[in-house]
Amino acid sequence: MKIQAQIGMVLNLDKCIGCHTCSVTCKNVWTTRKGVEYVWFNNVETKPGSGYPSHWEDQDKYKGGWQLDASRLKLRMGTKAGIMKNIFSNPYLPIIDDYYEPFTFNYSVLHSSARFATPPSARPHSMITGEPMEKIVKGPNWEDDLGGSFSERSKEKNFDNMEKEIYGKFENAFMVYLPRLCEHCLNASCVASCPSGAIYKREDDGIVLIDQTRCRGWRQCISACPYKKIYFNWKTKRSEKCTFCYPKVENGEPTICSETCVGRIRYIGVLLYDADKIAAHASVEAPEDLYKSHLDLFLDPNDPEIIEQARIQGIADNFIKAAQNSPIYKMAVEWKVAFPLHPEYRTLPMVWYIPPLSPIQEQAQSGKLGMNGMIPDVDDMRIPLKYLANMFTAGEVKPVRDALERMLAMRAYMRDKTIDNKINTQVLAGTGLTPEITEEMYRYMAIADYEDRYVIPVSHREYAFDAFGDKSNCGFTDGEGCGSMEVRLKELFGGM
Amino acid sequence: MNHFFNNLFFTYLPHIAMTLFWFGVITRIVKTRRSIQAESSQFLKKGGQRVGGNLFHYGIILVFIGHFTGLFTPPDLYHIVMSTGTKKVLAVAMGSVFGTAALTGIIILLYRRISFTRLRKNSTPQDLLLLLLLLVEMGLGMISIFTTAGASVENYAALGEWAQKIVTFQPNAGDVIAGHSLTYKLHIIIGLFIFMIFPYTKLMHMWVAPLAYFVRSSRQLIRRGFRSV
Repeated sequence: MKIQAQIGMVLNLDKCIGCHTCSVTCKNVWTTRKGVEYVWFNNVETKPGSGYPSHWEDQDKYKGGWQLDASRLKLRMGTKAGIMKNIFSNPYLPIIDDYYEPFTFNYSVLHSSARFATPPSARPHSMITGEPMEKIVKGPNWEDDLGGSFSERSKEKNFDNMEKEIYGKFENAFMVYLPRLCEHCLNASCVASCPSGAIYKREDDGIVLIDQTRCRGWRQCISACPYKKIYFNWKTKRSEKCTFCYPKVENGEPTICSETCVGRIRYIGVLLYDADKIAAHASVEAPEDLYKSHLDLFLDPNDPEIIEQARIQGIADNFIKAAQNSPIYKMAVEWKVAFPLHPEYRTLPMVWYIPPLSPIQEQAQSGKLGMNGMIPDVDDMRIPLKYLANMFTAGEVKPVRDALERMLAMRAYMRDKTIDNKINTQVLAGTGLTPEITEEMYRYMAIADYEDRYVIPVSHREYAFDAFGDKSNCGFTDGEGCGSMEVRLKELFGGM
Repeated sequence: MNHFFNNLFFTYLPHIAMTLFWFGVITRIVKTRRSIQAESSQFLKKGGQRVGGNLFHYGIILVFIGHFTGLFTPPDLYHIVMSTGTKKVLAVAMGSVFGTAALTGIIILLYRRISFTRLRKNSTPQDLLLLLLLLVEMGLGMISIFTTAGASVENYAALGEWAQKIVTFQPNAGDVIAGHSLTYKLHIIIGLFIFMIFPYTKLMHMWVAPLAYFVRSSRQLIRRGFRSV
């Protein structure tokens, strides 16, 4: 057993209002430079919709993630030889038009030119060419709140195996906001696809980063990431990605997207997992079993044996303590209300989602359809269960239904408790919840205090390496470092 | 071409070019290796990049291998398996195929860089200079295939002899090809010029061609203290 700690995130979609504060603050901090104008490390898209970049979930097009080849994990893009064969031109690379052409407006014309005969307008200008654009045809959130036509939006993958036509009717329309960032996967396909070995997963907290000094711009990671969360900086011609705001996280602070979330939907915490089992758990045969096998990777941080082992293997005490108080562990493992996004990509993503509740359709309220005892039947919700299941559990409906039932039961229980002042345990029947767990869920999911949402241990840089030898070692080197000749030569040919 | 210039270009210039090449490559790797990278424009515009990029790269790699083995294999060694005449036929045949591929590729690449606004606006003078240099160099190379095909075996063998005299520091190397066609000579001079500017251009990306990918584990776990100094 190799115990490792991973910083993970849960997003409570039930509370996301689609305000894009996370995206905007993230952009202001990380991607305001030239070459990454089009890049949103964090974006919020409206589902159903083709998303950003368009149809990112279509792995037949972009070949992201892993697939099973005779029960062995293989990158969907191909073997190492297959990737190298395409190194001069990656046939699966999304290009700028799959995102959108970044634009700005020539506002200056509004106050510098002579009087207009007609009301003045500022024309959009491309930030790539600087030329005026005839028409803006795409943006980072083009299908916001179900913008665009249903025929276009419904091409997306989450409608697979569904009778989607009925959702094109106005009275059946539904939507979900889906904020997305890098998943910091346990079995990251970007890492495996990088010919230069520039992408790595940090051992201490599992954050996946690109070493900008080793990225050589071979651009295989961009298509290998099934979530399309690695971006190509077209100016520097190297890849960039979400850093999980590691400078903040190392100091025990939440990421900027979490910190600024006005809906308090984001949770950050530590999970312990068994790294030896990653390959086995990512290669279970049926995609529907992947959610379950992903859950089985996580270790119980309160088990004395696990604690003992974790200490022996060098996990810092504050990480173990954080794992014990982790909101992620509670939501994902204990209450089973949070789910990974598209487990069928087999990357074992570590940003999980609580599926949204939605209004019960009219028929149920008018008594024609079943109220399941005291709780409305989740199958009658406006957002079809199958759609959510296609997103979170590779199509397996039961875990999502159970989670939504638990959330409904929690609501019913707390409504009775706070409004009628009575403890109604009847509503919890069949959900596996006790009044204690329900109230804890309520505290975490409804109240969502800052201290409960973010349980982030401060990193121990002092354990990482002995810094004394580096003292007064390296002068001005134009960013080239001052390693030995051996280290320098190691960077040739992708780092032999 | 008079003797002085013949000597200058085909006896001394190769040494000067190789010295500058290796000096540049070594200093670039030692001092500014982190700026060595591929500079792909595929992301901005697909148009033609797939066909052009692949044709050019695969073509030029094979052409390079052909030049290297063809010029530097001593006659005594290749005579074990083939005569000089056979080698000439082989060189002309392979050169035509791969040369055409590479030349077609570079024409497509040059065309897309000039004709698409996005690429034109984001191209540096270096991008265009290299494309033009390579185009001219490869064009001359293709013409010289016809010259070779039409000339004698001795004329062809002299090219290898010249190259081998250069790398073995023979003072009379230039005399060997003094009477050769101007096509060869321009091909050599422009080729040497490309070698001289090589270390200061994006051509350096071949030094970071990720061959190590084949031997590396696909899961890279790195402790917090990792610094790629």
